[in-house]
Amino acid sequence: MAGVWRVVVLNDPVNLMSYVVLVFKKVLGFDETTARRKMLEVHEQGRSVVWSGLREKAEAYAFTLQQWHLTTILEADETD
Amino acid sequence: MKRIDVKLAVPVVAPLLDVIKDMAGGLGESLAAPLALHDLDADFRAAWSDELLAAQKVEVGRLLGLFDDNFFREGVVAFDADNAEVILRACAAIRLRLRARALKPLADEVLEGGGADLLAVPDPVRKAFMCYLFLATLQELIIQNLDESILGS
Repeated sequence: MAGVWRVVVLNDPVNLMSYVVLVFKKVLGFDETTARRKMLEVHEQGRSVVWSGLREKAEAYAFTLQQWHLTTILEADETD
Repeated sequence: MKRIDVKLAVPVVAPLLDVIKDMAGGLGESLAAPLALHDLDADFRAAWSDELLAAQKVEVGRLLGLFDDNFFREGVVAFDADNAEVILRACAAIRLRLRARALKPLADEVLEGGGADLLAVPDPVRKAFMCYLFLATLQELIIQNLDESILGS
């Protein structure tokens, strides 16, 4: 479980764009521009990597995003 | 504390509450957005699910609590920094559950766009879709008026 992990939010057709932007600002501390860009990535590409780093913190973000009912997965970053 | 009072038409909203209650019942047993974290340790995963379920149950209870005797007398629901987040999340949970249970005949594009030919769908689907739109409207009202309250809390 060591190494870098990615927090990935998956698209759903239900949650409002404005809601997803708000959640990204609230949970991940994004500014409005970044939150909107990430939301559009989710919407248009079906997924967006919203954070990467240590597993423990990635899990904490994933849990909180799930609390907001956004479908979230963790992926190991194997680019190194 | 900033607060918004929203006046609703009781005869329009009351029938939708039956749909919300129906969907809320199942949200005590399963997550609206199922956990997709497959590589979690089993015990850890179970603990997460329990905690998320407990929170989801509380959220939905708060949403249903808005529509009390006072609502049926006055037709007003109030949102403020104290309930904005939980109501937003409850609306999301019910909308996700509506999609999974009651809105299967509608394509994802219809759900995303918010526009369906309501005359072409059976009555239960029509009622569920009205509920789906009603909850989205509540979410939009909260986000437009209480965004800063939520981000600051």
